[in-house]
Amino acid sequence: MTVPQITVQGLSKIYRVPVRAEGLRASLKSLIKRTYNDVHAVLDVSFAIESGEIVGLIGPNGAGKTTTLKILTGLLHPTTGLARVAGFIPWQRKHAYLRQISMVMGNKSQMIWDIPPMDSFRVLGEIYSVPSSQFKQTLDELIDLLDMQELLTKPVRNLSLGERMKCELVAGLLYRPVVMFLDEPTLGLDVSMQLRLRRFLAEYNRKSGVTILLTSHYMADVMALCPRVILIHHGKLLYDGELGALAQKMAPFKLVRITLGAENGSVSREIPLPAGVEITQRENNLLTLRVGRAEAPSVTAQLLQSLPVADLTVEDPPIEAVIDQVYMEGGV
Amino acid sequence: MNSIFTHSRGHGNLRGGMALVKATWASWVQYRSFFFILAFGWMIQPLIYLLVWTTAAGGKTIGGLNRGEFVAYYLVLILVNQITYSQTNWTIGDLVRYGQMNRLLIRPLSPFYDTLSSEMAGKVVYMIFDLPIVLVLALILRPEMYVTPINLLAFIPALLLAWALRFFWGYWLALLAFWATRADALLALQDSLVFLLAGQVAPVALLPGALRTAAVILPFRYMVGFPVEVLTGQVNTPGLIMGFVIQTGWLVLALVLTAVFWRLGLRRYSAVGG
Repeated sequence: MTVPQITVQGLSKIYRVPVRAEGLRASLKSLIKRTYNDVHAVLDVSFAIESGEIVGLIGPNGAGKTTTLKILTGLLHPTTGLARVAGFIPWQRKHAYLRQISMVMGNKSQMIWDIPPMDSFRVLGEIYSVPSSQFKQTLDELIDLLDMQELLTKPVRNLSLGERMKCELVAGLLYRPVVMFLDEPTLGLDVSMQLRLRRFLAEYNRKSGVTILLTSHYMADVMALCPRVILIHHGKLLYDGELGALAQKMAPFKLVRITLGAENGSVSREIPLPAGVEITQRENNLLTLRVGRAEAPSVTAQLLQSLPVADLTVEDPPIEAVIDQVYMEGGV
Repeated sequence: MNSIFTHSRGHGNLRGGMALVKATWASWVQYRSFFFILAFGWMIQPLIYLLVWTTAAGGKTIGGLNRGEFVAYYLVLILVNQITYSQTNWTIGDLVRYGQMNRLLIRPLSPFYDTLSSEMAGKVVYMIFDLPIVLVLALILRPEMYVTPINLLAFIPALLLAWALRFFWGYWLALLAFWATRADALLALQDSLVFLLAGQVAPVALLPGALRTAAVILPFRYMVGFPVEVLTGQVNTPGLIMGFVIQTGWLVLALVLTAVFWRLGLRRYSAVGG
């Protein structure tokens, strides 16, 4: 049994935030005596990620994703709990650790703005002490995979957002880190650029065996890349497992879509429905019904008997709808 | 615990630091004209006082300095002021405030090198602008200066120490950004004190009694005025030795404060986040 690449045990981060009341008097009072609120940004989170996995860390804004990433990249000390990444305790921030990880953010740049990317890459190569033969080989590979030969000599400020993100990925992978943290890598990118980046990440992961922990608000990213997701909300871990199984666990209903036969096409006619079944959409002779997961088989059988059904499908609700429900309600 | 130069346990990263300096320089050169305008701004104040004092001196001497000696003093001061001015101290607070410190902290290189590389890049770009102007002014205004080999020899360490003192004094003040969001007000205060007490308004020897005593004791004279006085021959041997002692003492304190606030600042940063 191998040791997981990332282990997190009972991780909590509590921020003490001064309470600020409105008004002048209250603010003067707070100068003398401050009252604090404890904000639990991360609360008793545990998980383990094996080498080579791609895991999506999802949750609504303010759920604790960024705090978790900051702890794992060594920027924050947790209040309690343990974490080990690539054999290191992140918040000791040893250089040997920082050479093993990379953090690519959709909204922050590693590149030096006014000079061509190639120059930034050279500086990063030096900062990460990459031997020159390995530097050249890695760079060639990445440039080839990302198809970006022509970008190398233009100043970074003249590049488009998508081109810059390619540069960020090269910058983050030049020194061959074993763990990669991706924070909203497709932020603001057009659909085809998103697609190409996803393809690149999947391929790079397959070739190099890098472990990837990714946060994204685009479910398409997560669906395309992450067989496994970790869902956190209000700092707590709500779900850790296959993305597909998330719907089963979090959404206790299925969607039944029926197309009625031609002779029953009249919309006005009352349709007899079993108890507990709800129509979510109705368009001519197309009906979408929301049925409890457990009742789905019996309800479909009833529907097939009582209605002139031309076509019938039973589906899980779309993942976006499930996630939305979890975000809004904080779990089911 | 992390030291400012190595930023984590283990070795420093000089190779990475030097590469950063080169790249920063390359990117600064792209904005030559912008930095020339800044350098021009910094030159104006000493130029005004040069004109004030040379006019006041006329054909006489004030405090032992004649017209030509005032010209020499202020022309040297323009260069020394530019070399020791640490504009990069102003950007440290921004790094913390706008969360760019995070990007620097996840690299195996102390963020200190980022500041140092801008510092060094800046010096070169500013000198490209300042040197020719000072030369032209020297041709027009005819300074009088008798540089002895000893003065010249003492000037070099005095200048280097002045730069280090001004830089690290500003650096520890700037590090207060970890606690207070607008720590740069303290940098503005430092600039004012340098203006008053470091020999810009007037050579320190010409300041009235109490102010002169303050100037000699406080660190600010040793950031600008002291090396200028050394080169222009205004300091005798005991004064020179005393000057170096005080200058070094303040520098040691600045280094200690920088190291302490860096350590405490990072501890706080990793507790509350950026």
